[in-house]
Order: sequence, then structure tokens, then C-alpha cells
Amino acid sequence: MTAIKAENLVKSYTTYKRGSGFAEAIKSFFKREKVIVNAVDGISFEIEKGTVCGILGPNGAGKSTTIKMLCGALYPTSGRIDAMGFVPARDRTRYVNKIGAVFGQKSQLIWDIPPADSFAVNKAIYGISDEDYKNRLDEMTELFDVSEVIHKPTRVLSLGERMKCEFIMAMLHAPEIVFLDEPTIGLDVIAKSKIREVVREMNRKGTTFILTTHDLEDVEQLAEKVIIINHGKKVFDDSLQALKNVLGSKKIVSLTLTEPCIGDEIGGARIISRDNDFGVSLEVDTEKQSITDFLRDLTACGDFRDISVKELPMDMIITRIYSE
Amino acid sequence: MKYVKIYLACMQTAVSRAAAYRTDFVLGNLITLLSNIIFPLVTVLIYANGAEFPNWTMWEILLIQSVVSMSGAISSMISGGILWVTMDCVREGSFETILLKPLPPLFYIASSSVDTSSVGLFIGSIAMTVISAVHTGICGAEGIALFLLMFLGGISVMVGLDLIMAAISFKWVGNSRIPEIFDSVREFGKYPLEIFPESVRVISSIFIPVAVVGFFPASALLGRFDTLSLISLIPCAGFLLFGVWLYNRMIRIYEGVGG
Repeated sequence: MTAIKAENLVKSYTTYKRGSGFAEAIKSFFKREKVIVNAVDGISFEIEKGTVCGILGPNGAGKSTTIKMLCGALYPTSGRIDAMGFVPARDRTRYVNKIGAVFGQKSQLIWDIPPADSFAVNKAIYGISDEDYKNRLDEMTELFDVSEVIHKPTRVLSLGERMKCEFIMAMLHAPEIVFLDEPTIGLDVIAKSKIREVVREMNRKGTTFILTTHDLEDVEQLAEKVIIINHGKKVFDDSLQALKNVLGSKKIVSLTLTEPCIGDEIGGARIISRDNDFGVSLEVDTEKQSITDFLRDLTACGDFRDISVKELPMDMIITRIYSE
Repeated sequence: MKYVKIYLACMQTAVSRAAAYRTDFVLGNLITLLSNIIFPLVTVLIYANGAEFPNWTMWEILLIQSVVSMSGAISSMISGGILWVTMDCVREGSFETILLKPLPPLFYIASSSVDTSSVGLFIGSIAMTVISAVHTGICGAEGIALFLLMFLGGISVMVGLDLIMAAISFKWVGNSRIPEIFDSVREFGKYPLEIFPESVRVISSIFIPVAVVGFFPASALLGRFDTLSLISLIPCAGFLLFGVWLYNRMIRIYEGVGG
């Protein structure tokens, strides 16, 4: 069942071109050249209910603008969004009742008072019953281990604690879809891990998650579907597995040799990086050369002390897609 | 009932937030009060030095100015937050956090950003109004009813103008000096209308009805009210309705900032 369907989504901004320096500043004060920027340029996609979908893209690609349009916070310049039967911007008040959002760089907590007071405001706004509120708050504070933290003023909390509270704020009304815009930005590994654990847990209970992130580990660990946007256009839309296969069936083989390595390839595989004279990484295309054949050729080339075979790193795949 | 609950919850939070910094809360109120009572002091000085506004006693002028302060305090508590919160959120690109609430944005901002620094001014202006009214004497129930009617009209103008200025900030980001223009225009409401030329009287009664903010309600209390002035209530309602309409319309052009 489709949770969100976007068709030919466009968001254009009008901006002004101005050069640098004093003379340009004076010139642009009197005359400015208008520039229309398509932050999102005709993208279409569908997201199934109950999935975790990662939206990736370099800085300025249009990810956040897309998320904001999906949340109903921005009106698309053209195109159409159907989210659970709602047109988000038009039906905003009814629609946002069913969604939650965490913006990694914009807090929804009230800065000067404890998160517990911010939660109480959301309880009134979303009309959550006393019983549901208590149950959900207890469940979430236990999951995130922040029972004490929610009673301290928000301004004294660490970034990790604050993000956990942002999550609770977004989940208290049991939304059907949750939008996460860079939810793990700036967090340490423990906080990231906790947040991923909760996302998995909530997703298991049926919540749909749509997340934008630069942390590819978020995507690898959480997303089933991946959409990649670059320069406002969709450049990839498929499963995580399909993304991993996008550059073919390649493996990375790390070798520690017994003698210094000379040349650009070993055993028919290309050297892609050198750690030192003895340590190299090779890219093996298993469609052209099976691992068995590669190992036989490698053994024939000489001795080695250590070997490990890994999947192609996600950042390498993404970098290739971005640069295409 | 749901909206009353939400309003109370948001307002309590706004007060808690303000009370989190006790010194700032007390000083803020004190400074607002002091800066607003300096103006009536000028009137006292004028009369103390033998000058006067023709046909108006010092206490009558002070009554007009107290009513202006009182409506300023109430409108500031209602809509002052809307203006500054909207300006800040549009400039910082955080308005989407407001749009994520399943409420009309105007209602949410108004209830969550009650300007507590105007509480002192509100109390002070009530005291000043009562003292002035004791000296001038007020006419009966009809005068009080007319006062309340015109006073509401004045608040409508002030709130409407706040909303218009807030709405403009969606297009004209960072227009923090615009409120100063209205503050200057509002000064006309602090004096008897008769001292101004005919053109200013028409402008301040009909086009930007600042006379309704102070002069007309005070005149009603003093029994010097011209029933023709009731026409001014029409543009007052117009300002409020136009402000609400424009604000909701301008939300559509909100663009956020780069992520």
C-alpha cells in the first residue's frame, strides 16, 4: 500500500545574482539580476507504507526541500503529492496530525523549559488522552533511557539527549509517517545507535520512516528503499540492494603482501588504494572474474600474509552516482 | 473546548518560559512600564509650564494616553509575539516547526508567544486610566459601553496592523524597522483629534484609524463622544480581517532556508 506518491514535483525559488566586493555590492543595491532556481526539478516517486526510505543527495541537492513539501510545510511550485489521501500543503492541519518530523538542525523543543513541558504542550495540541500519553511517554523514555533528562531545561541537555527528546516529541501522537531530516547529525556513535534502534523498533510496529541523511550508515542499517537526488533531479530510486549492485558485482579485497608491491594490478584485479608498501586494496569485478579465479591468480602472483574480502563501500557507490 | 485547552497549555508554557529568567522577566516589565509612563510625564510638564491643548484638561489628555497604553499592552500580549516570532522564524527558516502543528499558525503563535513583558504595562496603564478617570469623572453606563466598543475597535486595529506587518515579513525578510513606522503613526492617537488638520483627522479616523486606539474610547468615557465616530469601527474590523487573511495567504510563499 502506497503511503506517499509524488508526481513531477517542482519547487522553484527566486533569488538574486550579485557579485562579491564593494563595487558589486553598490551595483546590486540599485540593480539585481533575478535568477530562478529549481531546488526540486520534476521528481516522482512512491513510498510504500511501513517501509524506511532513505533520501540521499549532496548538499544543496533538494532533499530538505523535498521533505518540507512532503510534510506540508512548503507549497510545491508544481506537481502533485498524495500522502495517505491528503494533499499535504492544502490539507495541512488534518495531514500533520498523522505525521511526525524531526529536523536535525531545527529544534521543536522549547529551549528554556524542560522537554517534559514541551511534551505536555503537544499532548494538548494533538488531543492525546492521559492514558495514551503516559503509556507512550513511559515507553519512549525507557527506550531512549531519558527518564531523568526530560525534567531538565532543554538548554542544558547534550546534543544527543536533545535529539532523543526531539524523537519523543515527534512520536508522542503515534504518527503513521515520520520524517527525519538528518536526525543523527553531530551525534556520537552511542546516540546514533540508540536512535537507529528506536527507528527499527517503531518501524517494526508499522510506522513509515522517510529520512534524509549524509550518514550512509543510517541508510545501510535502516533503509529498505533509497532515493538519490542530485541538482534537484532524481538519479536513483530502488532498493538498498539494487543500490549496492549499481556498480556491478564488485568486491574490495584488502591484502597484506610479504614483499613490496609494484605495478597497477595484482591477480588481474586493479589496485585502488595503497596503505603502505605492503598493504593494498583491490577492486575485483566478480562478473568478469570469480573470487575462486581471482584467488588462484593471486596465489600464482606471490605470497601474502593477510586477506579480507568486503562489499564495495556505500560512500564509493554514492560518490560515483553523484558524479555521474 | 479543544482550542481553549491548547491556548491555556501554550500560554502556561509561554509564562513558564518567561519566568525561567526571573531578573529578565522583572526588568522587562519594569522597562516597558517606565518607557511608557515617560510619555504622560511630558504632558504633565506641558501643563505644569502653563501650556495646554485647547479645551482639554491635563487629566483628560492623560486619560487618552492611558487608554492608548492599555490597548497597546493588550494588543502586544495578543499579537506582539506573532510579529516577532514570524519575523525570526522566516529569517532563520524555522517556520516549518510551526507548520508541523495541526493548528492554524496564527492561533499557535499567538498562544505560545504571549508577550509577558507587557503585563507590567497593562497593570500600570489600568492604574493610570483609573486615576485619570477619577480626576475627570466619567459619564454613565452608556459611556462605558461605548468605551468598551471603541476600545475593542482600537485593539482590532493594533492586532490587524501587527498581522499585516508579520505577513509582509514572509516576502520582505528581516523588515524589523517596519513596526517603527506604525509606532510613529500611532502617536496621532495620543492627542485630541481637534488639534490636527482636517486631512489628518480623516486619515486617523478612517484610513489608519489610530484615533480609535485612544482618543475615541477616552472621549466616550468623558461624554464627549461624537456618534459619527462609530463609522471608524468599520475600518477597524477591516484591518483585523485583512490582517488574518493576508497572513494566511502569505504563508504560501514561505520558502525556508538552505538545509
